[in-house]
This record gives sequence, C-alpha cells and structure tokens, in this order.
Amino acid sequence: MLVKVKSIANRGIQTFGVDVEVNISNRGIPGLEIVGLADKSVAESRDRVKTAFQNSGLKFPNKKITINLAPADLHKEGSFYDLPIATGLICALLEVPVPENSLFFGELSFDGSLRHTKGSFLLSLFAKENNFTTVFVPSPCAREASSVGGLTVYSVKNLSSLINHLTGKKYIKKFNSVNEKNEKYSEQDFSEYNYIVGQEQAKRALQICAAGGHNLIMIGPPGSGKTMIAKSIDSIIPDLSEEESVEVTKIYSLVGKIPPNFGLLKRRPFRSPHHTISYAGMVGGGNNPVPGEITLAHRGVLFMDEFSEFSRQVIESLRQPLESGKIVVSRSRFSTEFPSRFILVASSNPCPCGFYGDPNHQCTCTENKIKNYRAKLSGPILDRIDIHINVLPVEKKLLIKDSSTNSNETLNFVKKGISNTRLIQQKRFKDEKIFTNSEIPNSQIEKFCSFGKGSKRLLEQAIDAYHLSARAYFKIIRVARTIADLDEKNDIEINHIAEAVQYRSKFFL
Amino acid sequence: MAGEVNDFDKTYPRMLHQIPSPPKKLYYKGNFNEGIFENCLAVVGSRKMSPYGERAMEKIFSTLSSKITIVSGFMHGVDAEAHRKALKFGLNTIAVMPCGINLIHPKDQNNLYKEILNAGGLVLSEFEGYFEPKVWTYPRRNRIVAGLSTAVLVIEAALESGSLITARMAHSFGRHVLVVPGSIFSDLNSGKVQISNEFAKTIDSGLFINKYFNLDYTGDVSEENKADKNQILGLLKSTPMTIDDLKKQFPNKEISQISTEITLLTINNSVVEREGVFYAC
Repeated sequence: MLVKVKSIANRGIQTFGVDVEVNISNRGIPGLEIVGLADKSVAESRDRVKTAFQNSGLKFPNKKITINLAPADLHKEGSFYDLPIATGLICALLEVPVPENSLFFGELSFDGSLRHTKGSFLLSLFAKENNFTTVFVPSPCAREASSVGGLTVYSVKNLSSLINHLTGKKYIKKFNSVNEKNEKYSEQDFSEYNYIVGQEQAKRALQICAAGGHNLIMIGPPGSGKTMIAKSIDSIIPDLSEEESVEVTKIYSLVGKIPPNFGLLKRRPFRSPHHTISYAGMVGGGNNPVPGEITLAHRGVLFMDEFSEFSRQVIESLRQPLESGKIVVSRSRFSTEFPSRFILVASSNPCPCGFYGDPNHQCTCTENKIKNYRAKLSGPILDRIDIHINVLPVEKKLLIKDSSTNSNETLNFVKKGISNTRLIQQKRFKDEKIFTNSEIPNSQIEKFCSFGKGSKRLLEQAIDAYHLSARAYFKIIRVARTIADLDEKNDIEINHIAEAVQYRSKFFL
Repeated sequence: MAGEVNDFDKTYPRMLHQIPSPPKKLYYKGNFNEGIFENCLAVVGSRKMSPYGERAMEKIFSTLSSKITIVSGFMHGVDAEAHRKALKFGLNTIAVMPCGINLIHPKDQNNLYKEILNAGGLVLSEFEGYFEPKVWTYPRRNRIVAGLSTAVLVIEAALESGSLITARMAHSFGRHVLVVPGSIFSDLNSGKVQISNEFAKTIDSGLFINKYFNLDYTGDVSEENKADKNQILGLLKSTPMTIDDLKKQFPNKEISQISTEITLLTINNSVVEREGVFYAC
C-alpha cells in the first residue's frame, strides 16, 4: 500500500516542499529503507521510528517498507522527517486517509513523544505561502509554528495521540496561542544604560546610533568601559517591528535558536562573537550553508570587541553586508543569500599596549607598531562606520560618588526619544526599501535631508576646518539627520551639524 | 641637484668646521647654498610626539624670523613635524640623514622628503650611496645636526633619550640649548628638566629664539587678547579637556550643546583636538 505525506526541506533560508512516500509491500525481505538523497540524520530516522512505534504499543509490521523522499535530487538533512514517516506508516498500516492540505514535521523520541525541532517557523511560512491549511508539529514548537497566523496548528505530544487523531478516536485540540501562557524571556545580563557612570559623550553617541541605525566605533584604552557601553545598547534599543520580527524569527528558527514554547522574537538580537571567530562563522558557511553571526545579528546589533584583533579576512568580509544588508554564501553545490542588516558596534584599543593617548599611562609601543595596528582596520570598513568616538577611563572618584544616582527616568526618557525617532523614520521611508537614516543613499540625501538656515554653510566651513572627505560629508549629514529627528525638527539646523561633526572619523583616517 | 662637499672646500658650512671632529665629506641633495647654513636652529625631540609638543612647535615656529633654517633628523615624531612646520611657515629646512644619501629613512616619509626638496630645502648625509642606517650612525648624525646649528631647541625629551645626546653635544660645542617647558606629569618633560638645571634655557616663543640669532620677526605679533566670552574656551585656556570633562564642569549643558559649541570653536580656529582632548589655541 502506498501513502504520500507532505513535508519540507530547508536549503539555506529557502524552503522546498517534499513528498514522503511510504510503500508497504508484502513481498521482499522485511526491513525499512529510506531513499531520496537523505543524509545520516534522516537515515537514522528508521531506528527512531521503529523504536517509537514499539514503545507506543503499535506493532511494527514485518514487511518490506520503502520510503522515498521526493524530489529525489534535493539533498535532505535534519531529524524532522520522523513525524511524516511515522504518519505515513500509521496511515498505511491502519488504512486511514492522510489529512489533506497538511504538512508534517518533527523529531521522534524513543518513547514515542515528540521533541522540540528546529525550523517549524519556516514550515509554517511555507505552508501559508503554498496554501496548506494545517501543520502538525511537536508540542514544544506549537507556539513558534502558530506565530505565522492563519493556519491550523496541531500540537502533537506523542505518537499515541497522533494515532488517535488519525483514526478519529480522539482529535487533538487545535493550538490556540491565546490560551497558552506566553513564556517570558529571562532578562539577560546586559549592562543597563543608566548604570553607566560618566561617559556622557559615549552615551549620547549610543543613543544616536540606536535611533538612526548608525554604525559605531569606540576607541579607548583598556578598562575605559567600552564593552559595558556597547552592551548597554540592548537596554535602549526599541523592540522589533512586526515585519522585522518575522525576518529575525525565520533566521533563528532555521538555526534552532528559538527555545521551546517561544513564538515570534520581540527583542533585537545582540551578538558578540569572540575575535577568534572563523570566516565561515562570521558570514555563514558549510556545505548546506548555515547563517553566520552577521545574519544572526540581522535587525539587531553586532558587537565586535577588540575589533583590530579579528582576522583580516573576517573584517573585510563585513564590507558587502555593511553596504547592502545581505550576504551571498556560495558553495560549489549551492549558493544562498542571507539577510544581514545590523548595527555594527566596534571597540578597539588605540595601539597594541592600549594606552596611547591615555593621560594616566605611558604608551610603550613603537611608532611602527602603532601604524601596523591601525593599518589593520582598512579604510573601506571605517568608511562604513558613521560614528567614531574616543572613550577615556572614568575617574574613580566619580564612580564612588555617582553610583547611587541612577534614575530610571533618564533611561525611559532616552528610550522614548529613540522609539519616537524610529517612528519618524518609518514615516519618512514608508515608500522606500530602507528603514533608518543610516541607509539613506548618497543620491537621495537631498530628498530626505533639508537644511535649515545657515547649516549648510556651517557644514562647508567644517569641511575646510577639519579637512573632511566627500564620504565624511555624507556621513555627517546622515548623523545630523538622526540628531535632528531626536530633536523633532524637520530641518537640519546648525547645532545638529555641529554636533554631528564631533562624531566624524578622526582617529585612523 | 646632488653633490658632495669636502671640508677643505670654501662652501663647507662654517659652523660645522668648528666642532671637534667635523665630517670630512658631506653628501647632499637639493639646494646647496651658503645662505641656508647662516642661521640654523636644530629642533629635536621624541619620536613619539605628544599633542602638546606639536602645538608648542606650532606656536613657536609662527613667530620665528623667516631667515632661520630648521635643522632636524628626519625621524618620525618631532623631527618630521619640525620639517613640516618649517615648510608650513615658509622657513628653510635641512634634513640630516643617518644613512647613505641615496636612501630615504624612514621610507614611509618619502612624501615629506620630496616636499623638502621641492621647497628648496636640503638633505645632508656624511654616508655615501645606499649605506643602511646603523645604531652608531644616529649619534653621528646628531653631531652634524648640533654642529650646523647656532642653537638647539628641545621640544620633548625623556631621560636618556637621543634628543638629550644631541643637546649635550651642542652644549659641548658651545652652542645655545633651549627647551620648551612642559607638564611635570609628562615623561617627555623629565629630560628637559634635567638639562635645564645644567645648561639649557627655557623659552616659550619664537621671539626669544630670534634674539639668539640677532634677528627680528617681521610679521604681525599683536596677539588677539580679546576677553573670552565663551565659558568653554575660557576653561580650555587653563586646562585641556575632553567633552566628558567639560560636561562635568557644566552639568547644566547637554552633551549635544557642548559638542555644538566645541565644533563652532574649532571652525573659528580657537580650539584644536588631539586624541579626543580639546586644547585652546
């Protein structure tokens, strides 16, 4: 008897439909065989399904069973074919029909229960786009799968309940996210913006960068608080919009980073890879390409501590994503495109020993050493970073005195300003493909950035006084645009330009 | 123009003849004339020049007589900046090399090298051809720098630095040694304090240097001494500060406001920034 069950296959971030064909034949040597370019994790499905059957009180047939995963030329991997295979077997054995317009997805445990499986969000997206009405997923994935909306989600607890459902003995209740309690993300250990003592300029720069999506680099000696400042961006950055949330959840579902019983991601991702990260780890890679850190940071923040310690190749690989917001990962068999629109927050020491320019320490580096160290940060990368600031250590006196005066008011005030600015930008760019001021192309500067009285003249003077390049000119305008938005002004005024000039790149170039 | 000059030639620099062991032969590139050796001021200092050192040079050079020639060793830091500032203020300059005349050392300064020659400056060396610089060639180079000059100006010098060697040599040749005062918290000041206690004179303006050459500054010396209406500028005149320091001084001003004022002051040339610290000009 032949039964067909629908499922999917993920290649990069693309999803394809897969037919799981189960044939039980009375002739031939008894056994179970899987064909259709399945990798090891799929082939092992045989043993999981067999054992789960036995432990669910169902006799595994002593017949020749062949399973084909079609299309047969598409490479398949992952453990989620357990459920479609089991469903096919049940339907074939008990001679019940396979539910129509349904997709099946999930990994089986030996005891017959279903485990949390990565990628259920992609399954639901695929179902919706291709007019499927129903998905069967493991119960820990139900919230994730249902967050797409408009689908009937059956949260399958174990094989017995699935058998009861298929045979019509007892139907599984449709999953309704409203009834289930939504688990809250545990607050991560991020330093809060209002707990930073001093560093007023850095805090202001952080505010601008969170508001306008600008990239930021901080230069300063060790112990000046660069890492703490960078991490505190998480406490002021607004949550993801609905559209952005879908993009991010898709990526996190693909790599299995959505914990059981969670749905759409609300918080912006914050990634801080160590500087020993490999090239593939950063941009994504593998035979079947998986996303790297820049994609995991999509719509969020990529924090690169000790920026100049990263390998040259890794730093240079950021060029394309910083420019276009996506990365194309090409392998001999397959190439795919991952989104990677993130805010880059980088920190670096001014020299190998770290104390160049520190008023309290003597730098011990030679001229050449400093030169080589700085040469590592190539011009093209620094050109894509809008805000450069110097960070110096806070006096210890101030630490002791001020640590009790943190108020939540400042934090809320800053947060409000930032989300307000994001709204202004949303309105401004509603007909464009961009979201933030940092993405305004040079050709459209005139369109979005209107100058107030005298501000253009000031900019011209600044260019002369600071010997600024054409690129710096546009960067200053973009930053000034965000400052004006924070100020709720339509035109860029003199003080906006003047402040933006302070964040220009001055250290390396 | 390139060539060589022997110690028996008429054109051999007069001042250099007077030192105990003058080089027998000097190789040169550029504009060799006797005028250029007339009023030589050697400028020496650390390879790691501080922002203070740079600004001190800027101030002092701005009031030097245009007849003065700046002599230095073409090294990174104070040396190179001395050549640059000389070109900026239209002074003649001589670079004395620690290597063969055909080498540019350090290599990455070849633009400066060309600028010096284009501006009618001179490159000197007592070593021929492509002779590589050695540890022992630097003090010999310093001997020429000191020997050519009527006075040596020490911008910044740590204890036991090459700049001190040059200063002591110059003193032993009977030349004037001048130092720029510095902060007592800076390591680059300790060398200067040491020689000040022994023989050097402290100066804070090019006008004092001119006196050692019996020259006058012909430009406009009337320093604008208008009252500082701007509070920030007033404060920066006494102490250089970062934007965060200024915020501490003016708690009522927003960071954005301070940044704005600083930018406007910079555009007016009232303030300069080095490594995140602002200095009043």
